[in-house]
Amino acid sequence: MKLKRTMHQVFAIARTDFLGIARNKTAIFFTLLFPLFFLIIIGFTFGTQSTSETSRVHIGIVNLDGKMINVNGTISENSTIGDAFVQNLKDANFTVYEYSAYGDKNTNGTAAYDISRRQIKIAVVIPSNFTEALSYQYTNISGMPIPTKASLELYTDPSDPTGSIIAQQSILGFILEFIKHYQEIAINQLPSGFQEYAAVLADPITVLTSEADVSGRQLRWIDYMVPGSLGLVLLWSGLNHASVAIAGERTKGTFQRMIIAPVSPITVLVGKVISCLIIVYLSATIMLAAGILIFQVNLYWNIPVIALAIFLGAISAIGLGLIISSIAKNVEAADAITILISVPLQFFIGAFFPLSIMPEPAQIFGEALPFTKLVYAMQSTMTKNLPFEAVVPEFLYMSISGLILFALGIIAYQLSLKRL
Amino acid sequence: MNDIEIDSVTKRFEDTIAVDNVSLNVARGEVFGLLGPNGAGKSTLTKMLCGMINPTSGAIKVGGYSIQDNLMKVKEIIGVVPQDIVLYDYLNAHENLAFFGKLYGLSGDKLRNRIREVLDFTQLGEKAVKRRISTYSGGMKRRVNIAVALLHKPQVLLLDEPTAGLDPKNKLALWEIIQTLHEEGRTIMLTTHMMDEAEELCNQVAIMNKGRVIALGSPRQLIKKVKMENTITVVPNKMTPQLIEAMRKFSRVERSYKVYDENEKRETLKIITERAEDILPDVVSTILSMGTKILSVELSRATLEDVFILLTGRSLREEEEQS
Repeated sequence: MKLKRTMHQVFAIARTDFLGIARNKTAIFFTLLFPLFFLIIIGFTFGTQSTSETSRVHIGIVNLDGKMINVNGTISENSTIGDAFVQNLKDANFTVYEYSAYGDKNTNGTAAYDISRRQIKIAVVIPSNFTEALSYQYTNISGMPIPTKASLELYTDPSDPTGSIIAQQSILGFILEFIKHYQEIAINQLPSGFQEYAAVLADPITVLTSEADVSGRQLRWIDYMVPGSLGLVLLWSGLNHASVAIAGERTKGTFQRMIIAPVSPITVLVGKVISCLIIVYLSATIMLAAGILIFQVNLYWNIPVIALAIFLGAISAIGLGLIISSIAKNVEAADAITILISVPLQFFIGAFFPLSIMPEPAQIFGEALPFTKLVYAMQSTMTKNLPFEAVVPEFLYMSISGLILFALGIIAYQLSLKRL
Repeated sequence: MNDIEIDSVTKRFEDTIAVDNVSLNVARGEVFGLLGPNGAGKSTLTKMLCGMINPTSGAIKVGGYSIQDNLMKVKEIIGVVPQDIVLYDYLNAHENLAFFGKLYGLSGDKLRNRIREVLDFTQLGEKAVKRRISTYSGGMKRRVNIAVALLHKPQVLLLDEPTAGLDPKNKLALWEIIQTLHEEGRTIMLTTHMMDEAEELCNQVAIMNKGRVIALGSPRQLIKKVKMENTITVVPNKMTPQLIEAMRKFSRVERSYKVYDENEKRETLKIITERAEDILPDVVSTILSMGTKILSVELSRATLEDVFILLTGRSLREEEEQS
């Protein structure tokens, strides 16, 4: 009888709490729709491209090859190899913009101008003697070719180190391939007895690179983002709602009115936690449905593992939220503290941007977060289809951190009862 | 039989004594008024009565149950109407009542019937019940605030400023509700700033100051106890300290002081005396002899407000403004 009554109380509290979100447009946006909004923006910006796609690398080319110039008595006027270089870049699917001069950041129409305005990530300047140097046209008095290197100049955007590194690596990879092709042509012109020897000399190490088959499918960035977005759900739906759950009631006075009724504080807490869990699962469902419907993600659906991971992550988020809710003086303070925590944290959980691109202290911090473990576990399960055994360490970490944070949350809640 | 027994209760917050050795009994069916300036200890005492905080020492019983030993039982028989409107504004009245009813263990037909009864009792219209609380007028919110506390038919009701901020019409309507609850035999403890409310509704009144009960009795007893049967209210064209001082020289004048009259929009002089009729001619001639014109003179019975000022040295209007 007593249990039945307590269950009635718990569900009444959970229902009322949930209606507080469902009937408040602002709360719906920040609790349920903001993570989705974030996923859509980031997803459309980066996510729909293949991880190996080159078209997102925007390159500026200043092709001076063929521009008439006299170098040590040799007139450069041929642009054959420079033109081929540019054409090969286009064929390799890079997004190429051509300029007549590198220029400076104040001169419109130049490569430097567009780098400074983030129109291109990198500028490649092909020198005017590119063809002459590569086709041995520099000779001494006796007519023997003078070995002359062709030098390319690369300019990157220092304000975007990550984008610059990606663009630079892509271009250097392309140049390596171009050199190899050039070497083949040059070696073919040697006497037949020297060709094999020269080929090995020119290219002594063979490097084969390819993406590991971690999924059994061709993956796009969004296929990692959608499972990763569940970490965002914990921050925005779990932490956000839990942090105002008690503080909001206390500010309105309804918490005091509940406590005056024959209801134990733990019953109130259980009702609140159930409401938070419902909101987290609802938000997670919306995110995953958006992934399927908007981005056509192709994931593996191990529902029990996904549900358990969300539960463990949510316990950490709710525990942290309870601590905030209990120590905050009122709901406005709780809101401010939550935003202060959740906004920076979303960049450290590896949901959208890999931790590997961050400085080492940031990586250590990110790795310590239970929400990061959820992201890893979900990417392993849903994207790579790894078995449960592979994510046991993440689950253990989430369980322990969840227990600790939830226990601290209950202690903070109990202490807050003394401040009524 | 007493429904509320407060025995030598003290509540200490670190270095502050909020309630200092208070003892009070409230008989079953009585309307008991708790008056006092801000910080007097009324709220702390009310919080202890409904079990939100524990006393540092002393004992409290409600309905015969100790709050220290049998808190859940006390919560079953007590109904609390907070001063603020404590409702979920995104729910309608029916949903609010259903929620709080469930907290008190009501469900099914029993809950539905009780909701209907309290809605009828507080005269909330059928259509209004379906609208969200955020759309209600202040008076309607107050009624729902009270209805919530009545759902579980509590024997003891704690009302904290139940008519604060209401217009006279709504205030009178709520007084009727409180009178009806009193007639039904409920024990009511009323915390109020409004002396007319206390005089109108309460059988017993306790005035608290600095954590202690400084006066206890029926409103009439308190007025008699401080020998304040009559008040002469004079509205002069100008108020001077000499004028107030001159009044104090009359024999049998307990006290004279100035107050700001909201209706007259000017300062008025109050003279508290046992024999107002006897000294009235002298008062008038003295004022006139000081070169002050008299705009109006009124002779009235002393009120609880006057008792309050005499005991605490502050007017209730000051308290209200501060709160």
